Amino acid sequence: MTGTAGSIVVALLLLLTAGCARAKPDPPAPEPKTVATRPAAPQAPAKPAAPATPTTTPAAGSARTAKSPAPKVARGGAPPVARTPAAAPPLDLKALTQQLRETKAIGIFTKIALKNQVDDLLDAFRKHYQGNAKLATTDLRRSFDLLMMKVLTLLQDEDQMLASAIVSSREAIWGVLADPKKFAILVA
Amino acid sequence: MNRLIVVAALAMIVPAFSAVPSFAQDDAALKKDLTAVIALHGLPCGQVVAVKVQAENDYAASCQDGNRYHVYMNAAGRVVVEK
Repeated sequence: MTGTAGSIVVALLLLLTAGCARAKPDPPAPEPKTVATRPAAPQAPAKPAAPATPTTTPAAGSARTAKSPAPKVARGGAPPVARTPAAAPPLDLKALTQQLRETKAIGIFTKIALKNQVDDLLDAFRKHYQGNAKLATTDLRRSFDLLMMKVLTLLQDEDQMLASAIVSSREAIWGVLADPKKFAILVA
Repeated sequence: MNRLIVVAALAMIVPAFSAVPSFAQDDAALKKDLTAVIALHGLPCGQVVAVKVQAENDYAASCQDGNRYHVYMNAAGRVVVEK
């Protein structure tokens, strides 16, 4: 009897220690996590190469490049495929301009003030391409972003459709401005 | 006779009251517009609380924070904000 009781006690001890042993290995679970993060790092360098090619403009948006690469790397390789269609919405500048003129979300004086600022930015681009550049491309990008922010601030509460249309066209508009040939066509 | 007077009075009062909201709306829209213009120029204001129309496209705006601005369109078609 004592032998069986002893064996039961031993078995229980074994089970308990086994339970403890399992309880400890759980923390090692973080180890696989670190292992998982490691593979992500090697994948990242391979994938950013792909997003880097579609977004040829980042040269201009150096201020943004500091922010944008991080999400791109984090999102992995699949999203860039989905992004390509999203990043290339048909840009109809004339329609957007017309909608901006017609929107009631912005007052007339504000529209004129905005147009003044748009003209100033276009002048800055013109000087930049003529070589009389006071502003570097990064500065132009900052001015562009600020102007966009102003427009969106004015629109977002009362004309969300137009605001989202402008947001989705934002990079395409920058693409036109940052390309001397496209800019020349736009200004002509 | 009394009825006629009442009807005449109503005829005068009702349009007067109905006209007030549209004027108020215009006034509010102008204040909002000038607030946005001043903000676009990066000047402190908060909100335009009073506007005096000096001429066409020429306003004197008083701000919530006490600042006063002369907002007008110059000959070149630029909106100018001066303190």
